[in-house]
Amino acid sequence: MNGVVSGGWNFVVAAYAVTALVLLIYGVTVITRLRDEISRASEER
Amino acid sequence: MLIAALRKELLLQWRSRAQFMAVFVFGAAALLLFSFAVGPVAEMLRQFSAGFLWLGLLLSSTLTLAESFHAEMENRALEGLLLLPANPRALYYGKAIANWLQLVLLGIALVPVMVVLYDAGTTRIGPLIGVIALGAAGLSAPGTLYAAMTAQVRSKQTLLPLLLFPLIVPALLASVKATSLIILGDPMNQVTAWIVLLVAFDAIYWSLCGLLFSRVVEE
Amino acid sequence: MKRNLFWLAIALLAAAVYCGLIVTVGEQYLRADLSLGLPVGARTLIALLGGLVALVLLIVADDFRNLSRPKALAVAGALFLMVGSYFGLFVAPPEQFMGDIQRIMYVHVPTAWFALVALTLAFASAVVYLFGGDYDWDARMEASIEVGVVLAFLLCCQGSIWAKPTWGVWWDWDPRLTTTAVLLFAFLGILALRKFVDDPYRRAMWSAVATIIAYVDVPIVYFSVKWWNSLHQQQSNPNTVSKPFWIPLRASAFGILLLMTAFIMLRARVAALRLKHELAPPPLTGAEIGESV
Repeated sequence: MNGVVSGGWNFVVAAYAVTALVLLIYGVTVITRLRDEISRASEER
Repeated sequence: MLIAALRKELLLQWRSRAQFMAVFVFGAAALLLFSFAVGPVAEMLRQFSAGFLWLGLLLSSTLTLAESFHAEMENRALEGLLLLPANPRALYYGKAIANWLQLVLLGIALVPVMVVLYDAGTTRIGPLIGVIALGAAGLSAPGTLYAAMTAQVRSKQTLLPLLLFPLIVPALLASVKATSLIILGDPMNQVTAWIVLLVAFDAIYWSLCGLLFSRVVEE
Repeated sequence: MKRNLFWLAIALLAAAVYCGLIVTVGEQYLRADLSLGLPVGARTLIALLGGLVALVLLIVADDFRNLSRPKALAVAGALFLMVGSYFGLFVAPPEQFMGDIQRIMYVHVPTAWFALVALTLAFASAVVYLFGGDYDWDARMEASIEVGVVLAFLLCCQGSIWAKPTWGVWWDWDPRLTTTAVLLFAFLGILALRKFVDDPYRRAMWSAVATIIAYVDVPIVYFSVKWWNSLHQQQSNPNTVSKPFWIPLRASAFGILLLMTAFIMLRARVAALRLKHELAPPPLTGAEIGESV
């Protein structure tokens, strides 16, 4: 690497934001699907 | 057992040689379209000729591979089951070798198209055919396995390339690089490394897919 | 899951967190030696092994019943990740060459580790399923693949965001990132395969075969892309991480470890419930009991 990379805070924030968003959204979808499956299973009994 | 299976496969393929012609035309058309996409700059086309050849062959292989289980499916299409093989391993290797031969012939047939369209001639025909053979083997082994799977499912046309294309990336890279070096010149003799990669890929997948094939066709 | 195994896993995790994180915090902020006399090498080993064995235990010994345990793990993971992010964004100094861009590494590196761990778990589950036929392992495999795909996708996003300010392009064909992209497509294909096969037996068998084939390909893809790319570019990503950067990296690592484990456990429950529904015999109506099929 030559020289110093200056600035770039936008990219850092973007990376952290994307990470948080993806993990959060995925978690929500898993929990939602789990709730649906559980309620469907208890209805069938 | 293997010889019998192989003989049956080759006979089936010979009977459907019109299909081979159609696939060849498809491949040649693909090569033509690539040149339209890039533009009529002779030098650039020549640089990328190996890539175009292998992309054309890869796209054509989806047609060839999908057809290879057609006979087994025909009688059982309604139930979506494969005709139960007596020896799944012989069935697999028979089909894989037959597919391999078809792809090699297709590759060789596309070479003149490549030479004409991209000015990509070479005198090193032997090594070129060798690379085509090794690369086609890399496509055929996993391709035959996935063709057996997807023949039994709906949406088979989309699933086969979807599963196959990411998998054969190493074989594609190696084949394209090796072919490119043969056509454009290889001052530092890098071809050997790529051939070794191809051989390793082929060895791994011809054994692994043969082992796993019985799981794909069992009831 | 048996209570003993769960608490054993928690104990291993605690040991890992202590050796991997707390000791460093003690060194840097409390000026206290909390190492209990253990040398650095031993502590790193405990942190690595403890974490990995704990997560394997949690996933493998899970019987898909208890909901509060995975949820607790998820909350703990989120907390660790937030602490790691805070340290990474505001406390750690900018790196010598990379400047502030380096901070992306604190989330990027752990995501890379655990994407690979998730796909390795998928591979192991596929092998176990092929040998035993137990559908619990099919559920675990489906969960691991999906979580692995999410992490791989995240990895590509982070790598792209890192590449733009560093190299001026959104994609620099780095072998590790390119392998991840190929992996992403390969395992997305397997998830698509699962959607198109209705019969649970075939679905399990075929996706297990496909998972094994795709996973074996990973090192091959990596080496082929590395050779392919070596003629054009040098390796770009920073490898060694020096001490001031350990805390955000390790805290985020534990965060992602716990989140990944929790997600796999929860997603496996979804898969297991669906399988139970599919494998159960259809209920007889009154009319059917009278006639026989």
